[in-house]
Amino acid sequence: MVPAARALMLRRRGRNLFSKFLGTAATLFGLSWLVWILLVTLLNGARALGPHIFTEITPPPGAAGGLANALFGSFMMSLMGVAIGAPLGIAAGTYLSEFAERRPIWRESIRFVNDILLSAPSIVLGLFVYTIYVRQVGHFSGIAGALALSLIVLPVVVRTTDETLRLVPNMMREAALSLGIPRWKVTVQVLYRAALPGILTGVLLGLARITGETAPLLFTALNNQFWSNDLNGPTSSVPVVIFQFAMSPYDAWHSLAWAGAFVVTMVVLVLSVGARAFLLKNRMDSNA
Amino acid sequence: MRSEEGPIALAAGTAAPAARVSSSKLTVRSLDFYYRGYHALKNINLDIPEKQVTAIIGPSGCGKSTLLRIFNRIYSVYAGLEATGEVLLDGENILKSDYSLNRLRTRIGMVFQKAVPFPLSIFENVAFGLRHHMKLSRGEMEDRVEKALREAALWDEVKDKLNTNGLGLSGGQQQRLCIARAVALRPQVLLLDEPTSALDPIATGRIEQLLSDLEKEYTIVIVTHNMQQAARVSAYTAYMYLGEMIEFGTTSDLFTRPQRRQTEDYITGRFG
Amino acid sequence: MAISSTAHSVAEPQRPSAPDRSAAETRQDALFRGLLFGAASLVLITLGGAALSMLWGGRLAFQTFGWHFIYSADWDPVGRHFGALVPIYGTLVSSAIAMIIAVPVSFGIALFLTEIAPGWLQGPIAAAIELLAGIPSIIYGMWGLFSFVPFMSDYVLPWINDHLGPLPWIGALFSGPPLGIGMLTAGIVLGIMVIPFISSVMRDVFRTVPAALKESAYALGSTTWEGVWKVVLPYTRSAVVGGIFLGLGRALGETMAVTFVLGNAHQLSASLLMPGNSIAATIANEFTEADSDIYLSSLIALGFLLFVVTLIVLTCARLLLYNLARREGR
Repeated sequence: MVPAARALMLRRRGRNLFSKFLGTAATLFGLSWLVWILLVTLLNGARALGPHIFTEITPPPGAAGGLANALFGSFMMSLMGVAIGAPLGIAAGTYLSEFAERRPIWRESIRFVNDILLSAPSIVLGLFVYTIYVRQVGHFSGIAGALALSLIVLPVVVRTTDETLRLVPNMMREAALSLGIPRWKVTVQVLYRAALPGILTGVLLGLARITGETAPLLFTALNNQFWSNDLNGPTSSVPVVIFQFAMSPYDAWHSLAWAGAFVVTMVVLVLSVGARAFLLKNRMDSNA
Repeated sequence: MRSEEGPIALAAGTAAPAARVSSSKLTVRSLDFYYRGYHALKNINLDIPEKQVTAIIGPSGCGKSTLLRIFNRIYSVYAGLEATGEVLLDGENILKSDYSLNRLRTRIGMVFQKAVPFPLSIFENVAFGLRHHMKLSRGEMEDRVEKALREAALWDEVKDKLNTNGLGLSGGQQQRLCIARAVALRPQVLLLDEPTSALDPIATGRIEQLLSDLEKEYTIVIVTHNMQQAARVSAYTAYMYLGEMIEFGTTSDLFTRPQRRQTEDYITGRFG
Repeated sequence: MAISSTAHSVAEPQRPSAPDRSAAETRQDALFRGLLFGAASLVLITLGGAALSMLWGGRLAFQTFGWHFIYSADWDPVGRHFGALVPIYGTLVSSAIAMIIAVPVSFGIALFLTEIAPGWLQGPIAAAIELLAGIPSIIYGMWGLFSFVPFMSDYVLPWINDHLGPLPWIGALFSGPPLGIGMLTAGIVLGIMVIPFISSVMRDVFRTVPAALKESAYALGSTTWEGVWKVVLPYTRSAVVGGIFLGLGRALGETMAVTFVLGNAHQLSASLLMPGNSIAATIANEFTEADSDIYLSSLIALGFLLFVVTLIVLTCARLLLYNLARREGR
C-alpha cells in the first residue's frame, strides 16, 4: 500500500478507536455519578432509618423525632394529586387519540402544548396554583398542594394514554364499531381494556414523578411541624421537610433529612422500575 | 384468441359453486367515493344476490376493500371520506344520513383481514354485540353464544374453555371467533375482507368450508386477492380495476368466458 | 323486553323504539366527546393560565420597576428595591456550564448505546441512564450539599484555583476561595441531571436513521465513527439540536438541586467559584419570607421571566424534534 494511503488508513482507524473509547468513557462517566448518588443516599439514609421515622412526628430543632406527619402528608397529597390528574389525563389522552379526527389543528396544538407542559419547571405550576387558588382562599393547604401535583401528573398521563391508545390496531376499533356499538362504548369497553397496561404505567410514572417534587409544594401546602388530618390547612410533606432540615445547621435534622431522602428514593425506584416491569410483562402476555 | 376451454384460471378439477337464482339483497347505484379529494370509486353499479357468496376480486388498489367498507359505512369514523350515490339494502338507501349507523351494522356484519378478538374471554367476545343490543337472560345468552360458535365451526374446540382469553387461540381459530362474533347478531349480510390472507392453507380451507354452510342463512360478500379462492367459494364474482366495476357475473362465466378484455387479462395472469 | 333467542332466520335485534335508541346513542357519543374535549382543553388552559397568572402576580413589580427590573442588580427587601439581574445571570451561567458538560457526555452515551455496545448491554445501560432522570431534584440537592460540595472544596476547587486562577483573562473565572458551593458546583450538578434527557433524545433520534443509509456508508468502507459523523449526525442534525434545547429547558427551570449548592447569595461575581443565585432558587428560598407586596410581586415576576424563557426554549426544542418526525412520515 502506498505510504500516504497507509497513513490515512491508520489515522482513520485511530479516530474510530478513539471515538469508541470516548463513547465508552462518557457512559462510564455518566453511570459513575448514578452509582455515587445512589450509594450516598442509600448509605446515609439507611443509617438514619429506624421505626421512629414512621412513628414520631417532625421535631423542633435539637430534639429527636421522626417523619410520620410528613409521610402522611405526602401520601395524602400524592394520592389526591393522582386522583385528580390521572382521570383528567386519561380523558384528554382519549380525546386526542380517538375523537379529534376532524380537528387536526386543535389536536396537534394540544399535543404540542402538552409536550411543553411535560418539561415545564414545576415551580411555575406551584406559582400558578398559588395565584389562582391559595391567594383566593387566603391560606395554604394540602388541597392546594394536591392541585399543584395534579398539574404535574396531567401531561404525563395525557401523553402515555394518547400513545398507548394509538398503538391499539385500527382493526379492533373497526371490529367493535361493526357490531353496531356506539363509539363511547367501543372506547370504554374495548379500547381501554386493550390499552390498560400502558395507561396504568402512565399513572404509575406520573406518581413517581410527583414523589419528591418540592418546589410546587412550597407555595401551596407550605409545611406543618405537627400532625394534621386537615388537608385544608398547611400540610407537611417529605420533600419540603428534607429541604428545611437539610439547609439547617442541626445534625439531628440532617439525619432525618437523609432518612426522608432514602424513603423518597426507594419509592421512586420501586414505582419506576415496577411500572416498566409491569408494562413489559403485560406486553408479553398479550402477544402470547 | 380464446382456447376451447376458455382462459382457465381454475385448478383442474375444481368447479365453481352453482349459482342459484335469487333476488338482489344489496343494490349499488351510481356509487362514487372520494378519499380526501381523490376519486377512489367511479360510478359503481352492482347487484349482490341474496343468500349467495359473491366475491370481489381485482389487483391491489383497485378499490375492492373500499367498496366493501362502504356497505357498513365503517369509513364514517374517519375524516375526509365521502360517498355519493345509492346503496340499497332491501330498498332503503343506507348512505342517507338519517339511516342509523348502529342499526345498519346489526344488519350488515364484517370480518376483517386480521383476526382481532377483543381482549376478553371467548364467551364475552361472542356475547359482546348481544349484550349491547339485546336483553337476554343468562340461559338465552349462553344459547346464542353456543349457536354462533357452532355456526363458525368453533364450538367443539372451545366449549371447555369459554372463559379463557380469546387471544390464546391459534390464528385460524381467532378468525373463526371473529366470524362467530359477527354472526351472533344474526345480520342479513356478512362482509369478509380478505379473511384468510393471514392464515395457513389448512385454516384457510376450514373457513372456506364454513362459507358454504353460512350462505344458507346469510348473504355473503367476500373480498379476496386470491382468484382461486374466489373460484372455490363464490357463486358470483365481480372484477374491479382502478376504482371501476369492470365485470360481474356468475363465477363460472367470469372465469371461463369473461366478457371484457381487462377481466381476461387479470384472470390469465397477464398482470397482477 | 327480551327477544326470543331461538331466532328465526333473521331476528332483528330491533325494538319498536329503535330509532329513539339511535338518537340516544348519538347523544351519548356527543356528551362523551364533549367531556373528553373539556379535559383536553385543560391542557391549554393550564399553560395559558400559568403564564397569565404570573404576569398578573408580577404586574406590581413590572409597573414599579419597568425594564429596569431586568438589568438591576439590586435586591433590597428592606428598601423594597428589587432587580432580576443576579438571578438571571446565575440561571444562565449555571445552565451554560451544565450544557458544556452534558452535551458531549450525552453524545458519547448515545454513541455508545447505538454503535458501540453489544445488543444485550444496550437495554440495561439505557435503563440505568434513565434512572438518573428519575432521581428527584431534591435528592440531587442532598447528595450535592453533603457529598459533592465537600469533594469540590477539598480536592477540585483548590486545584482549579491554583492552576487555572493565575492564567491571564480566563483566570478570573477560576479564582476564589474553595467554598464548595458556588456557580461551578451548581453547573456540574445541573449538567449531571440533564444528561439523561439529552442522551435519550439523541439515542432515539440516532435510531431513526434508516439502516440502509448507514449500511451504504459502511459498504463504501467507512468506519463506525465516520458513519456517525458523516451520515447519522447530518441526518439527525435538527433533532439533535432539539434534544439539546430540551436539556437546556430543564436546566433553566431546575430548582432544588441548584438551591442546595448555589449559595443563594445575591451577588454578581466573575468567578465561577463564588456563590450566586438563580431565579428558581431565589423564589424557592424567599417566597415564604416575602413580607411586602412588592417583594412577593418581584418574586412572581421572576417566575414569569423564567417561564417565558423556558417556554421559548422548549417550543424551539419541540419544533426541531417535530421536524425530524415529519420527515419520517410519522
